[in-house]
Amino acid sequence: MTAAALFQSALASLPEIVVITGACILLILGQLVRRGQEYFLVWASVAIVLIAALATLILSSEVRPAYTGMFVADRFAVFFKFVFYLATILTFLLSRKYADIEGIGSSEYYVLLLFALSGMMIMASATDLLSIYVGLELMVLCTYVLTGFLRRERRSNEAALKYVILGAVSTGIFLYGVSLVYGLTGTTQLDGMAAAVTGDPLDPGLLLAVVFIVAGLVFKVGAVPFHMWLPDVYEGAPTTITAFMSVGPKAAGFAVILRVFLNPLVAASDVWIIVAVIAVVTMALGSFVALVQDNFKRLLAYSSIAHAGFALFGVVAGGADGIASVMLYLLIYSLMNLGIFATVIMMRNGNFSGEVIEDYSGFAKSRPGLALLMLLYLFSLAGIPPTAGFFAKFYVLVALVERGFVMLAVIAVLLSAVAAYFYIRIVMVIYMREPERTFDPALTPSVRATLAFTALGTIGIGLFPAWFLRLAQNSVFGG
Amino acid sequence: MEFPLLSLIMFTPVAGAVVLMFLHSDDAVRWTALGVTVLDLALSIAMLASFDTTTHAMQFTETHPWVPALGITYALGIDGISALFVFLTALLGSICVLASWVAIDRKVKEFMVSLLTMQALMLGVFCALDLFLFYVFWEAMLIPMYLIIGVWGGEGRVYAALKFFLYTLAGSLLFLIGVIVLYFNGGETFDILALTAQDLPFPVQSWLFFAFLIAFAVKVPMVPVHTWLPDAHVQAPTAGSIILAGVLLKMGAYGFLRFSLPMLPEASVYYSTLMLSLSALAIVYGGLLALAQDDLKKLVAYSSISHMGFVTMGIFALNLRGLEGGILQMFNHGVTTGALFLFVGLIYERTHTRSIAEYGGLMKAAPVYTAFLALFTLSSMALPGTNSFIGELLVLSGGFAANLAVGAAAVLGALLGAAYLLGMYRKVALGPASVGARFKICDVNAREMAAILPLAVLVLWVGLYPKPFLGIIDVSVKHLLAQVHDKGSGP
Repeated sequence: MTAAALFQSALASLPEIVVITGACILLILGQLVRRGQEYFLVWASVAIVLIAALATLILSSEVRPAYTGMFVADRFAVFFKFVFYLATILTFLLSRKYADIEGIGSSEYYVLLLFALSGMMIMASATDLLSIYVGLELMVLCTYVLTGFLRRERRSNEAALKYVILGAVSTGIFLYGVSLVYGLTGTTQLDGMAAAVTGDPLDPGLLLAVVFIVAGLVFKVGAVPFHMWLPDVYEGAPTTITAFMSVGPKAAGFAVILRVFLNPLVAASDVWIIVAVIAVVTMALGSFVALVQDNFKRLLAYSSIAHAGFALFGVVAGGADGIASVMLYLLIYSLMNLGIFATVIMMRNGNFSGEVIEDYSGFAKSRPGLALLMLLYLFSLAGIPPTAGFFAKFYVLVALVERGFVMLAVIAVLLSAVAAYFYIRIVMVIYMREPERTFDPALTPSVRATLAFTALGTIGIGLFPAWFLRLAQNSVFGG
Repeated sequence: MEFPLLSLIMFTPVAGAVVLMFLHSDDAVRWTALGVTVLDLALSIAMLASFDTTTHAMQFTETHPWVPALGITYALGIDGISALFVFLTALLGSICVLASWVAIDRKVKEFMVSLLTMQALMLGVFCALDLFLFYVFWEAMLIPMYLIIGVWGGEGRVYAALKFFLYTLAGSLLFLIGVIVLYFNGGETFDILALTAQDLPFPVQSWLFFAFLIAFAVKVPMVPVHTWLPDAHVQAPTAGSIILAGVLLKMGAYGFLRFSLPMLPEASVYYSTLMLSLSALAIVYGGLLALAQDDLKKLVAYSSISHMGFVTMGIFALNLRGLEGGILQMFNHGVTTGALFLFVGLIYERTHTRSIAEYGGLMKAAPVYTAFLALFTLSSMALPGTNSFIGELLVLSGGFAANLAVGAAAVLGALLGAAYLLGMYRKVALGPASVGARFKICDVNAREMAAILPLAVLVLWVGLYPKPFLGIIDVSVKHLLAQVHDKGSGP
């Protein structure tokens, strides 16, 4: 690699370099921070992400392939990176008070989040199965540790262990698929694969390889049949990490899925059926199992499975509109899901966990403002206009119908009616029950800021979706 | 750029709701809400006054791009059919505020905000000229209505609210798919007028007809998807029932008029017999159920199902008298049944029971109340001289022209109506005063009178001199009918 090419590559991956360097520096500085000064860590982390965001924005003017075709900085990656920045910054803002209450105020927490962020960023930019793998592992290794961060709590340890074991298996499956691809086509680059697949689309070995890769990726977004870890891990992890995982890594998984499936394997048409079936089953399972949950975090875990299913419908639709619909969906989902998680996180105060849905009985009476926010997020998750959640679903449906998958669209809406039930059930508990105990939410300015931002996004994108839609449509790769 | 009158009518309640949020005293909230709704009513009357009844073209139109990438616009406009319902919605808005003046005694501010939001959304549904915009209003109504029933309703409110929500949501979501299919088959536009001008192939029309039918039938509601209605009505507070009966049920029928008939004319003609039969079923079945009720509110709720059967029958008779009668009946049902729910609410506030068996002899204790109740009862059973007589007569003559058997069934339903309504009135108002002995009944006061009078005036006005009302819709209905018969002459 010549010096010029190396410089170009370094320039293309500048945001990743910023985040990783920043995380390393923070790791050292973290040892010097005295107790009670932890807010420094939050602001330093936020600053690192903001610098990375600035770098991304400056470099976003053109498509920059880098590292001999393993990495690309295109508008598609930029869009996803901004979703990640958003998720990470909001997680930082939510973390401070929560970390205090849970006693996890160590600097590693923030450093690991930053490393996870860099992993996700690499995933969004990766154009080679190996670089995808590097990003994927960087991301999940950090989330394994973060899941077990509540060292004193058994369910947190258990969740982490479960996550590590199942995650390792899924990684193995993914790698096996990669090795098969390499053996059959002689390349791991997505473009190279595309050429190979178009040449011989019916090679059963290749199909097997694709199935393995699908399995590995599907694990990360928590789609059926690799969803079993998700509720336990979501429940056991610190709530801030749950919020982060439900948004960031999920979006990263979708970024890879979109790249892998919509770029090279278009010719291998059988894959569509697999993805369609996964989408339907995922959404059905998420929606129906969520109906019977009493734990708020578990319910949101199943809701996130259901949402992954809905986003997969966008992948099934494919084409420019399909890709854009998934991207818009993930952006909107990030906002509303972080919003609802923020309300759960702030409930954690004193000896009050805020995890049982019944705890919220009559919440509207004691805290009308916060209850109204929850109402907004829940209706948005259910996809009721004029919230952003409606437009997200609407656009996925448009993409589906455009490609002629009307039956799939009908299935999708019927299942979202089921899903609406459990969101509305929470609204019912909040508004229509008598209060049983009083609340003292842990509202700090940064939590308030998060709530305000997510609420603004949820209602703002709902009322004025045009700009965001155009952004997603312009960020589709190859378009 | 015309003066955006419709936006003004629509956003006045929204602005009012925002103002309410900053008020602290309950009385201030009530008076402000009343002021806002009366202002809105005045605006809608001004709209009617300058409405041109000689053209079927959309009037007071406004168009602004909203999501250009998908051809979605913020487009408003009304023809004669919508004009009538904009007025009705605005009128019932102020009546709802009056009806909840003392009935709602907790979280008054939140209630009035929901009520005003609801009003804005309902007005939006009738004004929207963009399918996407229409859907947003249509669906967003679920939120305030769910809260109105679920927070301020009766004992079983939570169940009723959830049932209402899920039924309507499931129906609407299929409508959404229909809308998207229509979008791709109709030249990738959400413009209602442009879509109306499209000529879709019959199989597409057929599918869309049923997708729409499910959504609209749930809202109307038609048998067999009517079961949410009695629950919702019984549990809802008085204002909620008035909104439900007065406006919400009209949305389904409005959907048929605005979408099914003009956009899917062939399918509408082809399936009209099916629709007529379902209507006849609703008329008779709703009547029989009403006959068996002891709960006053349930009785009126079931009578609604029966009366809405007349509306859909009129619409799918697909002739001029039927259509005009159906639309007039929509309006009449809003006035009369809205009033009946108001009366049920008034008596419930005084006695805290809705069981008909516990009433009796109200005539002595509350003569004014019973006198007006008589008027609305007679109107509900379509006695000559009242509004429903005109509507029902038109529907029946249209129905008979379309299908003899269906018309005969409707007559049977009308007889049933007379039976349960007269029975109800006898038990409530006449006979020995059983309630008076146990409850302190006072007659209607001035505030309640203010809510009753406009409705009473409308009952008699439409009953004795329906020409202005028919005049508003006449041209639009003729145009609609021409559209159906031009394009819908069989598959």
